[in-house]
Amino acid sequence: MKQLPDLRVLSALTLLFAAGGLAWHGQPSLDEKWELLAPELESRLLTREVYIDPAELLDLINDDYVHLVIYDVRSEPYWNEFRLVDSEHMPLDRMLGERDRLLALPENAVVVVVSNDEMLASKGWKRLMVIARPNAYILEGGLNHWLNVYGIPEEEVDAHGKASLSKPDGTLRHRFKLALGDRHASSRPDEHRIPDRAYTSRVRLMKKVTKAGGCD
Amino acid sequence: MAPYDLIGTVGVTGSYLIYLAIGFTFGFILESSGFGDARRLAGQFYFRELAVVKVMFTAIVVAMILIFWSTALGLLDYHEVWVAPTYLWPGILGGVLMGVGFILGGYCPGTSLVSVATLKIDGMFFLLGLIAGVIFFGESVSFITNFWNSGYFGHFTLPELMQLETGVVVVLVVCLALAMFLGFGWLRRAIYGKTK
Repeated sequence: MKQLPDLRVLSALTLLFAAGGLAWHGQPSLDEKWELLAPELESRLLTREVYIDPAELLDLINDDYVHLVIYDVRSEPYWNEFRLVDSEHMPLDRMLGERDRLLALPENAVVVVVSNDEMLASKGWKRLMVIARPNAYILEGGLNHWLNVYGIPEEEVDAHGKASLSKPDGTLRHRFKLALGDRHASSRPDEHRIPDRAYTSRVRLMKKVTKAGGCD
Repeated sequence: MAPYDLIGTVGVTGSYLIYLAIGFTFGFILESSGFGDARRLAGQFYFRELAVVKVMFTAIVVAMILIFWSTALGLLDYHEVWVAPTYLWPGILGGVLMGVGFILGGYCPGTSLVSVATLKIDGMFFLLGLIAGVIFFGESVSFITNFWNSGYFGHFTLPELMQLETGVVVVLVVCLALAMFLGFGWLRRAIYGKTK
């Protein structure tokens, strides 16, 4: 009678084969993972429900109840030239390191991603969704739009007023005389000295689901 | 993509029923595998009884392969899976204490519940001790806050520690488990002979 192969050996070989196949196949990169998540999340970008008006961001900055995190995803020269007060410099390649912090954010946390226009900020938002899915939004029109609304022309090179937002190219179209970072008046406009600006509120605070697990 | 919003999909009652079914199945399999018998559980520390080690590590390795294959195929979002943060020093001390308790009592917390389900008296006393320990710890942890929070590494897993691709780490863990099965079997034969 022909002897059957040992089941234990077969099982061990199956495990090794499955593990070897996994090593060969690899895990999806962050960009590949976004492609997998896109059917579920891309509609929020397409319907622009996550793009918030500069006035709503300013209200968030001045709202003591909201735990606001502003990620500025631009390159360092732009960051040095002008930035919002309390914003954090967070290039896309450093974002993965923020995962633990993002997961630990409280229920009243709102993350806003900013860049010169919306292109880089939208990439940052996608990356945030891939790594931790926080309650994240994007500054509509980017800092160019912010400066159009709250800019101080006297601090700019030629005091040219509003910059065109029609052809976003990722650059800051307001040029400053000095790179003052967050020491410009428009980094945190005085809410009592600016005119009211109507906007449609898009920020919703999330109900946080506490995760836990394990077995012993 | 998993993990799914269970409560949103089947409601609170439905999700509780699913948890109940998973818990029942888990307990049934533990009991069927002999995890409710203190002598069998403690026997692993003397290389006398290896079923528990083999069942547990096989479960770990199979779950690991399924999780990371599901991630690789886009069926599961691994970043949404709960991974306990690392607190190194309290983790090491807790592991040692639990190992000592396991050898002395013959159970770990989960298996003591399995033994209680089959009305084992030693399991009941172990569970009473466990509850007393939980209360004592809860009342005294405020005195050791610094140690309790020491060695924090956050979400820290083997691929990050070893700076290797996840798949390579999975291969290494599978090889480690298989080598351990072989090594423990060899030790058992060396200590107790082939007939034991």
